[in-house]
Amino acid sequence: MRAEQASRRKAGDPKRLGIGLSTYVEMCGLAPSRVLGAIRYAAGGWDTATIRCLPTGTVQVVTGTSPHGQGHETSWAQIVADRLGYEVDEVEVLHGDTSVSPLGMDTYGSRSLAVGGVALYFAAERIAEKAKKIAAHRMGVAEAQVERDGGTFTGPEQSLTVKEIAFAAWTAHDLPDGMEPGLEAMYVYDPPNFSWPGGAHLAVVEVDTETGNVDLLRYVAVDDVGTVINPLIVEGQVHGGLAQGVSQALYEEAVYDEDGNLLTASMTTYLVPSAAEFPAWEVGRTETPSPTNPLGVKGVGETGAIASPAAVMNAVVDALAEDGVTDIAMPATPERVWRALEGVRA
Amino acid sequence: MIPAPFDYEVAESVDEAVSLLGEREDAKLLAGGHSLLPLLRLRAIRPSLLVDMGRIKELSYVRDAGNSIAIGALTRHHDVATAPLLQEHNPLVSHVAGLIGDPQVRHRGTIGGSLAHGDPASDLPAVLLALGGEVDVAGADGVRTVAAADFFTGVFQTAAGAKEVVAEVRVPKLTGDHVWSYLKFHRRAQDWATVGVAAVAKRANGGVSDAAIALVNMGATPMRAAAAEAAWNAGGDPAAVADEGTEPPSDTNGSADFRRHLARVLVGRAVAEATAR
Repeated sequence: MRAEQASRRKAGDPKRLGIGLSTYVEMCGLAPSRVLGAIRYAAGGWDTATIRCLPTGTVQVVTGTSPHGQGHETSWAQIVADRLGYEVDEVEVLHGDTSVSPLGMDTYGSRSLAVGGVALYFAAERIAEKAKKIAAHRMGVAEAQVERDGGTFTGPEQSLTVKEIAFAAWTAHDLPDGMEPGLEAMYVYDPPNFSWPGGAHLAVVEVDTETGNVDLLRYVAVDDVGTVINPLIVEGQVHGGLAQGVSQALYEEAVYDEDGNLLTASMTTYLVPSAAEFPAWEVGRTETPSPTNPLGVKGVGETGAIASPAAVMNAVVDALAEDGVTDIAMPATPERVWRALEGVRA
Repeated sequence: MIPAPFDYEVAESVDEAVSLLGEREDAKLLAGGHSLLPLLRLRAIRPSLLVDMGRIKELSYVRDAGNSIAIGALTRHHDVATAPLLQEHNPLVSHVAGLIGDPQVRHRGTIGGSLAHGDPASDLPAVLLALGGEVDVAGADGVRTVAAADFFTGVFQTAAGAKEVVAEVRVPKLTGDHVWSYLKFHRRAQDWATVGVAAVAKRANGGVSDAAIALVNMGATPMRAAAAEAAWNAGGDPAAVADEGTEPPSDTNGSADFRRHLARVLVGRAVAEATAR
């Protein structure tokens, strides 16, 4: 690419190539409540999860997070299925209605999985703790003789699944003395630390030095968002973040006139890009489990939007660096690029 | 937003459309709806009657008319873009029809509607102007023919009166000697042109003659770039004088100065592309 960049310049091609890099470490997963208190945040940073193993063999999950397109219904079901031995489609995730899920700190700041998802992990541990007691009682052995593998509890002579134990827990015909019937647990998780995703992004742009137009030719994003629960959802989150970030670099802007009137108040003037404006994203990742939570997960919602404005703007300036351009304000509209070039030509 | 209330009538023929339009002072014609419906929803216009001519099947055609190709006013952009007669005899028109908006727009929007709307940022008006095409307008007194040069009279204004219906558009047949180009500069794929250039000329004596260059969104109407045309005919530098006589708007897609600059760049490129064709 550097060779093509040089040969275009040598040939006097008005369309220059630019390559931009951006690396980042993000702090997300808001947040230890004590930290929020110290910075005078009004609320805490915990989140809640309730797991209700129903006697019918399915499970209800009530989460304090509020998915609106991020796919928590799927990822949360995967976590519970994995931790307690259910099929994914046996898990129903309930959210967003205060009559069902009144306690939660919401979905923002790439926190849902790293806080609400981890709350689910701990709620599952509570379920397993009680299930193990019931299993040992039903088997007539000491709790220490029962091994847990996901949702299967195995004693010296027999095994019980969490579904069988849930049925026993809710019929309550034969539970340990004094045990409350039912198999349900809530956990309020207050993260001891943030989660820290990081990554390196590379953008390749073609800048038309005559019209000022910027074309994004390639975009490569390599992120580390810790343990991946659902690869497709993670990729979708990265794609969405990239679209938003690239758009910030090249398209979207709130423009006001001298009298303070917003000139970009409609979808014809506020330039939300479409798929036609983007290349096929080239997304890769490394997977380093986060040491700050038992699932090893980190936030992912904002990674694309964090890295891409810098990568794209670096690429635009790289394309014009030999012309003497050192900076262009975002978004790099055709007119801004043209004026920047006019400025250094003058 | 929701449009203001209006009555709705379906016209089965051009005559019926003309007669329905005559019934109310503020009646408006509806064809593909891609320009009219947004204006209704913004309540920029509040006609009390819409006359839907979208079902007049006989107004959708592309025909050989001797020296020209005749296009029915209700021919959708997609059908203009893919018409074999145009691809053979006037590929400039079919090429540009294929650049309008996005596929959904091209399957609803019509050539007659696009011209009658009179938007200086639209593609086809400038193409018609560069080609020296003509428009048949039907009214209560019959059909009259208006030259492209006389058709566009202002922003969203044309020579077609409020009680008239654009019925047919004719563009000349191009020959093997003709060269052409259409370049559109826009921010997003589906956006109107910030600036567009339609260029057509005839090869002659190593250069060109009959150069015609029309500009999109460089004033209240699509406009010919007369100085650039003369320069192209004379083997000079059409780009340098491309913005002469224009009055481009300033908006969030570009200032008037930037549009003048773009017109110069695009005319230079269009002439180069046409000549290389």
